[in-house]
Amino acid sequence: MLTLTINGADHQVDVPDDMPLLWVLRDVLGMTGTKYGCGIAQCGACTVHLDGMAVRSCVLPVSNIAQGQKIVTIEAVGQSDLGKKVQNAWLEHEVVQCGYCQSGQIMSAVALLDKKPQPNDEDIDAGMSGNICRCCTYTRIRGAIKSVSQA
Amino acid sequence: MNVFSTLWGSVTRGTLNGAVSVALTLTALSVQAADDATIKRGEYLARAADCVACHLDENGGKPYAGGRGFKLPFGMLYSPNITPDNETGIGTWSDDDFVNAMQKGVGKDGKHYYPAFPYTSYTLMSRDDILAIKAYLFSLPPVKQPNKENDISFPFNQRWGMMFWNFLFNPNERFQPDPSQSAEWNRGAYLVEGAGHCGECHTPRNLFQARDSSRNLGGAVIQGWKAYNISGDKATGIGAWPDEALASYLSTGHAEGYGVAAGPMAEAVNHSLRHLTPEDIRAMVVYLKSVPAQTYGLARPEPKMLSPEPPAKGNNPLGQKTFADACVSCHLWDGTGRQSTFAALKGLRTVNDPEATNLVQVLLGGGKLENPHGDHFMPGFARAYSDQELAAVTNFVLDHFGHAKGMITAEEIAKRRNPE
Repeated sequence: MLTLTINGADHQVDVPDDMPLLWVLRDVLGMTGTKYGCGIAQCGACTVHLDGMAVRSCVLPVSNIAQGQKIVTIEAVGQSDLGKKVQNAWLEHEVVQCGYCQSGQIMSAVALLDKKPQPNDEDIDAGMSGNICRCCTYTRIRGAIKSVSQA
Repeated sequence: MNVFSTLWGSVTRGTLNGAVSVALTLTALSVQAADDATIKRGEYLARAADCVACHLDENGGKPYAGGRGFKLPFGMLYSPNITPDNETGIGTWSDDDFVNAMQKGVGKDGKHYYPAFPYTSYTLMSRDDILAIKAYLFSLPPVKQPNKENDISFPFNQRWGMMFWNFLFNPNERFQPDPSQSAEWNRGAYLVEGAGHCGECHTPRNLFQARDSSRNLGGAVIQGWKAYNISGDKATGIGAWPDEALASYLSTGHAEGYGVAAGPMAEAVNHSLRHLTPEDIRAMVVYLKSVPAQTYGLARPEPKMLSPEPPAKGNNPLGQKTFADACVSCHLWDGTGRQSTFAALKGLRTVNDPEATNLVQVLLGGGKLENPHGDHFMPGFARAYSDQELAAVTNFVLDHFGHAKGMITAEEIAKRRNPE
């Protein structure tokens, strides 16, 4: 039995040690906002926060998460001021096209802005690297991030 | 009285009969138990000797059924079927046949093996241990799979020639414990030099393709990979590695700041080393740290203190851009690894090698380490990136994380994509 702190609540889960966090979120806890893309940490669709850092949940075995480490998913990112701002910016800029990658994009953007409130283009390239979008919404993502940092 | 004595007698006889039959059952059980114990020990030793690494065709073959191809300077060699199938495997082999193969490199039919089969290491193993491995192999289901024909050119296809080679290069001697060393050291030596056959890759070979014992474990190039110097040398070997780091590397394929196994070494960890007991891993560490220093090959770079920010634009913009696009998401700019220290690049010999031997291999083919807590995986980038991009990112990594000036060209990448 593992205890995971997700979005402020403790969850007891009885899963194998090597089960990736993404499977626990989606299949065990039914939190399907976080998406499965590639399964090998190459696309970023499954990005969540672990103690504020953007991590790829598809390759993060749950047993590697220490008790008490805080996991935040797309379901609750809007509960923080910054998360809410980013989500609003996404709506204002109509960033989303098909939407599949956008949970991960928003999680990475929030982690970036949290560490670096005024990112320049290169910071955005580095911070958002590893989150890919097949609809190529990159310019709108950049615009949305900049609008938050300039607000 | 008579009645009593008769009764008593029959009771006694009955008890005796019972005792005899119980004793017989116990004997049978203990024979069975001894067999199970031998098979279990054999399984462990087969793991320690990493038999499956070669006797498995990685393209969907069955364990121990062989068929894996090895490209040697004189032709193609295929590993044979060592399952207990009577026709295509070793089902008809006697104990002596099996021991001869392991210690002398001679098969049941009198055929001499090529030293791609590491019998020059296995020769150190005891008959007892070798027969435990045989008991394990014979406990497996037989697989009917004919051996592939080797394609070795003349004169090397004349196997009898190996008699002279063996006379010169196979000592055919069992391991002799060194009484001046601890039991742990001796166990480590047995595992490293015998069953584990580390020297088959990590010791350079002489003109006759025999291990150069004067440079034991001093590092070599094999199958397009650098098998690094693992002698006790502080700069170029593992002499400066803390014991815990070396133990972690052997048992998980990873020691933060020191090394991450890839290529053939990742296979050795996945198939063999990660299954060994902590006591055996410790014994191997004790022995390896004592191996006389060979100053040869690459030094481990002093881990650089790097910023988590992207570096200022240097003279390799394509390399930096490719790293930003393809690598930084997992490895981060400071090389600490995003969510796993398995992705940490600091302090690795691989990022300090101006020839970028293993670096280019990993970039092209990726890597995978199996772990009880989940696998660690890096995809290969051969198909997604051009020679020019891969050359640029190789040079960027060498420059950024190591102290080596990378001069890898696109032509060089093209060559390594399609080795001779």
